[in-house]
Amino acid sequence: MGSAARPILEVSGLVKHYGGVRAVDGISFSVERGTITGLIGPNGAGKSTALNVICGFLPPDGGRVLLDGEDVTGQAMHRLARRGVVRTFQLARVFGGLTTIENLLVAAPGQRGESALGLLGGGRYWGKSENEVLGRAREMLGAFGMQDKADDYARNLSGGQKRAVETMRALMTRPKLLLLDEPMAGLSPSLSRQLEDMFLELTREGLSLLLVEHSLDTVDRLCSKVVVMAQGKVLAEGRMSELRTRKEVQDAYVIG
Amino acid sequence: MQLLIEAIGFGIASGAVIALGAVGFSVQFGMSNVLNITYGALMTLGAYVGLFLIDRGVTVWIALAIAGILVGLVSVAFNRGLLAPLMKRGTRAFAIVIVTVSAGVVLQYVIVVFAGPDAKSYGEQSGQTFHLLGMVLTASEVTIILLTSVLMLGLHLLLTRTTLGRAMRATASNRVLAQSCGIATDRVSDIAWMLSGMLCGAAGVALAITTVSFDFSLGAVFLIPMIAAAVLGGIGQPYGAMVGGLVVGIASEVAAAFTNPAYREVVAFGILIVMLLVRPHGLFGAVWATRRLMA
Amino acid sequence: MGDPAADGLGAMGAWEFYLVVLLVYLGTDLLAAWGLNLEFGVTGVANLGYIVTIAAGAYAYVIFTLGSPASAGDFQMYVGGFGLPFPVALAAGVVAGSVVGVLIGITGLKRLRQDYQAIAMLVVSLMAATVVSADTPFLNGNAGLVLLPNFAPLSDQDPEIQRWAYVGIVAVCCVIGYFVLRRFTTGPIGRTLRAVRDDEYAAAAIGKDVVLLRLMVQAAGGALGGLSGALLVGFIGGWSPGAWAYVETLALLTAVIVGGMGNDRGVSVGTFLIAILILQGVQFLNDVPELKALEAQFNRPALTQDLGWIVLGTLTILFIWFRPQGILPERRPKYGEVRG
Repeated sequence: MGSAARPILEVSGLVKHYGGVRAVDGISFSVERGTITGLIGPNGAGKSTALNVICGFLPPDGGRVLLDGEDVTGQAMHRLARRGVVRTFQLARVFGGLTTIENLLVAAPGQRGESALGLLGGGRYWGKSENEVLGRAREMLGAFGMQDKADDYARNLSGGQKRAVETMRALMTRPKLLLLDEPMAGLSPSLSRQLEDMFLELTREGLSLLLVEHSLDTVDRLCSKVVVMAQGKVLAEGRMSELRTRKEVQDAYVIG
Repeated sequence: MQLLIEAIGFGIASGAVIALGAVGFSVQFGMSNVLNITYGALMTLGAYVGLFLIDRGVTVWIALAIAGILVGLVSVAFNRGLLAPLMKRGTRAFAIVIVTVSAGVVLQYVIVVFAGPDAKSYGEQSGQTFHLLGMVLTASEVTIILLTSVLMLGLHLLLTRTTLGRAMRATASNRVLAQSCGIATDRVSDIAWMLSGMLCGAAGVALAITTVSFDFSLGAVFLIPMIAAAVLGGIGQPYGAMVGGLVVGIASEVAAAFTNPAYREVVAFGILIVMLLVRPHGLFGAVWATRRLMA
Repeated sequence: MGDPAADGLGAMGAWEFYLVVLLVYLGTDLLAAWGLNLEFGVTGVANLGYIVTIAAGAYAYVIFTLGSPASAGDFQMYVGGFGLPFPVALAAGVVAGSVVGVLIGITGLKRLRQDYQAIAMLVVSLMAATVVSADTPFLNGNAGLVLLPNFAPLSDQDPEIQRWAYVGIVAVCCVIGYFVLRRFTTGPIGRTLRAVRDDEYAAAAIGKDVVLLRLMVQAAGGALGGLSGALLVGFIGGWSPGAWAYVETLALLTAVIVGGMGNDRGVSVGTFLIAILILQGVQFLNDVPELKALEAQFNRPALTQDLGWIVLGTLTILFIWFRPQGILPERRPKYGEVRG
């Protein structure tokens, strides 16, 4: 049982070599439970790489990752996903050959249809749980205003719609910690706002978010804490309003 | 010990031919990012064209040159007509490889229909036998080793000393960037396919010279050792393929000498599988090659 | 593509016999195509070495059915020789195909590009063919193995009844095989496999154990292949490395691509077109006297087969160029309103 005071995510001394360069050079920060933390910094700072290592997509070359106090360093992505750490990608990766609603359905955790018994038992075995998942999926599509696209193949959606589908899909997994790589990019301002409100609402229900974002306005509105990275290192950690004025943060954005 | 040295000798000879083919294959991958399985059937085509010419009295080395040029032209047409358009359309990599496997089968059986399924031979081409440091090599094998070395040197000079070579290297590493620098990437591609196609045709003839007899499966059989060599050396990189060719050739011959001759092929297969599973970018592969290989 | 051992037609006419042959080939080809479709069309594993699962099933059936090598005077060498009845041998074929399918699948697990995976699996099949050919004590090497008695089930009956009974057995196996296939391609698991096909990393990001799913599919696809091989060899009566050259996978692949990848009905249609119209058509043409004369005149003994391969290869390329979704594309799944 995690205590309310313990952060949901603690990263310490994380290192990742990538292409002969120390893309992530010993970073340490934490994400508090039920909050939205922003990971910002100029291009090439190593933010995406850090995200890739934390979620298990890439193995780390050093350091530790603690999820709710438990050491999950180097675990495979799907294991972490099952523990509630789910990420979205910078270039939206939807399942093109599946319809929009199927993209959501496939993400629901613990589906009876996917077990060995489900294979044996067939429709009678998983029909009911499938029904429940269908209901949740339709609700979510409605919340994002995409009900009419439910039966379209996901590959035919626009860029912004694909991004929305990816976010919805991540939410369908009932995550504990969402790692989002530029979730607002390409979304209309109204949809952006809706998404922001939804994230805030979800944090009240206990969800934690780590956000890589370039739009400092979004970061300002959403993030209670911000981690600034540059050249693979953490420059500063704190509230956005305080950090904005600090010289080294401003320098990082200019020098890049 | 004597057995070992002799085996190494055979290995160098066969390694030279494998290197010849592997370099062409590697160049095609480097330039167009495609595993061109049709390469095997194209080598067969080279061998049969050579046969056609030799049967009409052409000297074997002239026949090699002509066969090389012909296969080079066919390769350019194949890329321009089929592979490049499919890739531009966004056809997925495994669909392209299925296309090249199918095209290889079609070409192979077209050859059978025209030339017949029976075993062919170039006749007695070996020439004198030389004894060098305990190794036994025939004159034609020595010629092939020298030819391969000259061609490799020529390729090296082309790639490093000429504008064209620089353009080829640029296009291979980043086509879009090369285009924005004003390089006519399509034309550069054509030239790369012509040159590699010529190596392919030459390799086919060289194979026919060094085997007692051959049939339509010649290219298909030797393609795998060539892919193994290319992958071993780092695919996309011609220099690695040269070294890889020698390694595969020598390893195969040594294994065959000390165990069952039928296991000659298995060595090449084994090298390829192990490399793909353990170190797909090869012994000398650069990091950019790794990125291309990973899904 | 071998000829069935015609041990006396009995009361059966030539046409009736030919129909039996056609049906058996159709049935076994369907099983194999469904297996390959499960691996390739649904889950995106480009298994160019699929033919080895079929071969494994065939060989397993043979060594389970035959008595020990000594009992037949040692005229062929092989491992096993358990002399077990038909259903056991068939089950052995299924298991062998499944195991081999998983082993092949392991070579494709590394994070390689799909075309590399395809080549790796192709090389595995070539390796297997070489090893089996070379290692004579294992499975009688290049000469292959011959079944005696031929036709293990109902061997005390009329040949005519035997043959139609075999068709019945194949039909039953097809029904079971189709049922198994549908279990994998419909419902939540089918959806998940298609997601893995489309983007295995995104699938892992939402918690799918891609390795386990792939191995499961390889086991099931291999089982179908093994069943196909076992049924086929039970009918033909013999099996050798020549029967499972790597081009045979191409024939199945053509059926899957032409019919419609990922789509059970489409693949069935494709198999019918390829297996029956083309492959059997080639066999049929082979017996036409005019063509036989032509073949003799020009010394092209397998002319119709060669032309058959040319047609298949060309068809594959044409379909990938013009209609990659196949004749019957995947049907878009529609979900009803929430019930209750």
